[in-house]
Formats: sequence, structure tokens, C-alpha cells
Amino acid sequence: MQGVTKSYPNGRVALRGVDLTIPEGDFVFLVGPSGAGKSTVIKLLIRDELPTKGAVLLDGRDLGRLKRREVPKIRRKIGIVFQDFKLLPNKTVRDNVGFALEVTGARRREIDPAVDRVLRVVGLTGQADQLPSQLSGGEQQRTAIARALVHNPRLFIADEPTGNLDPMISWEIIQLLLRINELGVTVLMATHNAEVVTAVRKRVVALENGRIVRDQVGAAYHRED
Amino acid sequence: MFAFIGFSLRRAWLGFWRNGLMSLAATATMVLMLVLLSGLIILLHGLDATLNYVQQEVQVVAYLKDEATPQDIAGLATSLQGMPQVTHVESVSKDKALQDFLARHPDEADVINSLSTNPLPASLQINLRDPNDYLDVATYLKNQPAVDRVLNIKQTVDQMLTVIGILRAGGTAILVAVGLIVLFIIVNTIRLAVVSRADEIEIMRLVGASDAFIRWPFIFEGAFVGLLGAGVTICLLLIGQGQITAFLAGYFQVLPVEAAVTVGQNLILIVLGTGVGIGVLGSYLSVRSYLIR
Repeated sequence: MQGVTKSYPNGRVALRGVDLTIPEGDFVFLVGPSGAGKSTVIKLLIRDELPTKGAVLLDGRDLGRLKRREVPKIRRKIGIVFQDFKLLPNKTVRDNVGFALEVTGARRREIDPAVDRVLRVVGLTGQADQLPSQLSGGEQQRTAIARALVHNPRLFIADEPTGNLDPMISWEIIQLLLRINELGVTVLMATHNAEVVTAVRKRVVALENGRIVRDQVGAAYHRED
Repeated sequence: MFAFIGFSLRRAWLGFWRNGLMSLAATATMVLMLVLLSGLIILLHGLDATLNYVQQEVQVVAYLKDEATPQDIAGLATSLQGMPQVTHVESVSKDKALQDFLARHPDEADVINSLSTNPLPASLQINLRDPNDYLDVATYLKNQPAVDRVLNIKQTVDQMLTVIGILRAGGTAILVAVGLIVLFIIVNTIRLAVVSRADEIEIMRLVGASDAFIRWPFIFEGAFVGLLGAGVTICLLLIGQGQITAFLAGYFQVLPVEAAVTVGQNLILIVLGTGVGIGVLGSYLSVRSYLIR
């Protein structure tokens, strides 16, 4: 992100002159109080919003200059999960994950092996034929992670992935994200979970009022002076 | 390409059944509106046929001089027949006029019989293609030596044309207004059905589905709702056809019988086209608001 400023039509300025570079293979925590601009950073990265000023580059491509029909292709390089999982309630785990490939025009014989593979990665092989309502919160989030992974994304974005989960389960999810990172995928995780951030000691980018106030490698959730 | 169409059709089919209540609401609205629309079209068609019939009944009657020879009359009739405004010319001789008079007024037979000569003139009765041409034909007739006088019905014709014009314009205005209302209501119902699945659309966007993959299942689903709605409507119309025709025949007694049959064929096409068209349009508009960003 180069000198990115984002103001919304209602006049609210979410980001002010943000410069942020995330090298490939990095693991970054994006922290800060509500309204600091974390969600806006994510929306800009998946090109759900465009910057008012500055540029967002992904893999060397300026997202602001993409043609409409190129946007879906860029999104397939990004896997994203949310606090509220966003699973389709009337599809099984397998179908929820496969859906991500299905809507990009993949064939059945490509979909099935890919789904089996990511279900093994997240450890849900045994629950493949259950509906989301039959799963625990952690299992639902792991289903969402599997769906985000099924495209083999280069960048994995997690927006408060542990927000709805208890501490034990949150740890499982973090372990999973770390493993994904070890597989070579860049991970960006926006979170409020101070305990987790401090324990893992990865790069921490702190936002406040739309500005980066701290960017530290191997840091804790709060500033340590 | 086949995979894409297969995917879209399968998604549309699943979408329709999995959101049963919304699909039912959309289809029911569609049926209700299409029945309303076709009822109106049937009524207006009947009105139109009646008005056409009335228009064709406009006759110019030219009374002929007694001195006019049969050759004069035949020549005049032929030249009238050649005019583009004229559909039909009937020559009524003095004897025929007398017979007609007696047939209509049998009580007056004594009076007529007491006369030494036939007082009724021969005449030409001319049917017009369009009543607006009345003046042209009447003027032409007045200048013919064989013509004594032309029955002046200009005022009557004008009044009739005004009334017919108002009825036609009113009918069209009502049809257009109802058509727009129907469009609005159906598009809104379909929009509701789409909005209830905003989550699904959002997920599709986030996992990198192209616009076509998001849009077409909904468009097929809209077409499916339209097709089903039109089908039900057509069944209802076919079941009710007997009663409708009987009603129309009773109401517009002057109508030629064939009118009802042509209504049937055109109406089925109109209902099908409107149903599918509005279904597709509604889905397209509803999904579009999620895709434009």
C-alpha cells in the first residue's frame, strides 16, 4: 500500500496516508481499536473498495487499474475468512468448500481431490458430510479456512477469525494459520486477541485513527517500552 | 461453456426449491399479475373489436334522382367501388326501397298503396373503410348529376369518432398503467427473493466468482419463476376460456365469433413473453445492484 488514503462517501476518513509493504511469506497481525481502519485495509486488499488516494498493489498489480473482469481472478489469489464464518447453511462442509471452486467454473473431477486435500489440512475429513449447523464454532471456522484455501491462494486474510470462539479453540485456529504460513502462504490477520498476538511473536502492525502507529517484527499486542 | 450453463441451471433449480417460500411468493405474485393483465387485454380486445365493428357500420347514403338511368347508376356505383376509401357499394332501387319501407312499417301499407306512384327514391349505400373519409365521399357524391342529395350524418360521425377515440386512448392508458404496476410489483417481489440471499452472493464474490457466474443462476431462476407463473396463468385462462367466451359473446353480441379464438393464441404468447421477460428483468436488476462496485 502506497500513501493510501480512504474516505467514505459519508465523509468518514478511514485511512490517512498509509504505507505498508507485506513481503511474500510474511505473517502479519493487524491490530488496533475498533474503527482504526483494519476492515478498510482488508476491503482495499480484496478490492471491495478503491483507495481515495494512493495505490494498492498486489503481486505487483495496481488493484485500482484492474478491469472489472480481472477482479475475480485477483480474488482467487486471496483466501479470506471472517468472524462470522459466512458458510451456506444448506450445504455440507464438502459442498461449502467445493462451492468456491464450482463458482469459478472448475470441473467436478478437479473439485473433489482439491476439497479432500484442504479438508485434510484443516482436519475436517470426518465431518465432510455434515451441515454447518451440526458443527462447533471452531469446526465452522475451519470449514471457512478450508474454503479460503481451496484455490491455493498466495495471500490469506483472516478478519477477526477468533472473535466468536473460546480461547482453546482460538489457539487451534491460530496454529492452523501458522501451518498455512509455513506452507508458504502470506497471512494477514486482523485481531483484538492480545494474548494470541503476544504469544506468537510475529510482525505486528498497529493502526490508530487511520494511521500506522507501530510496525514491529516479533512484537507483542501492546507497545513494550 | 456447457459446464457453465449446467452450473447456472443447476444453481437456479436448487435456488428455486431451497427458497421455497420466496419462490412461491414470487410465482404467486406473477400469476396474480398476469391474470390481471390478460383479463384487461381480453376486455380491451373486445372493446376494440366492437369499436371496429361500429366504425364499419358507417354508411354514406346518396339518394338518386328519379331521372337517373340504370346505366348512370351502375356507372356511379362502379366509380365509387374504385375509390380507395370505399369497401362496399349497394344499389337500392325504388322498388327495393318501397319493399324495405313496407317491411319496416306494415301499418303504413294503406297509405302507400293509395299513392299512384312510388314516392321513395333509389339510393346507393356506401360502406367506408374509415369513417374519417366520410366528407370526401359525401363531397364527391354531391357533385354527381345523378345524385339528388346526400344524407348528412357528419355530426353523428364526428361524435362517434370522438367517443371511439376517447375509449381507445383510455383503454391504452389503463393497459399501460396496469402494465407498469405489474412490472413494478413483480420486479420488487423478485428483488426480495434475491435480497434474502445476499449472503450467498457475497460469498460468491469473495471466493472470486466472475459476474456471469453470479448473475446467470439468478436470471435462469427468474426465467423459471416467469415460466411457471405464465404456465399457471395460461392453465387458468384455458380452464376459464369457456366462461370468458360466453361472457364476451353475451356482452358484445355484435362481435364476429372468430375474435375470441385469435385472442387465445396471441394472449398465450403475451402472457409467456411478459412472464419470462419480467422474471429475467427483475433478476437482472436485483443482482446488478450487488455486482456494481
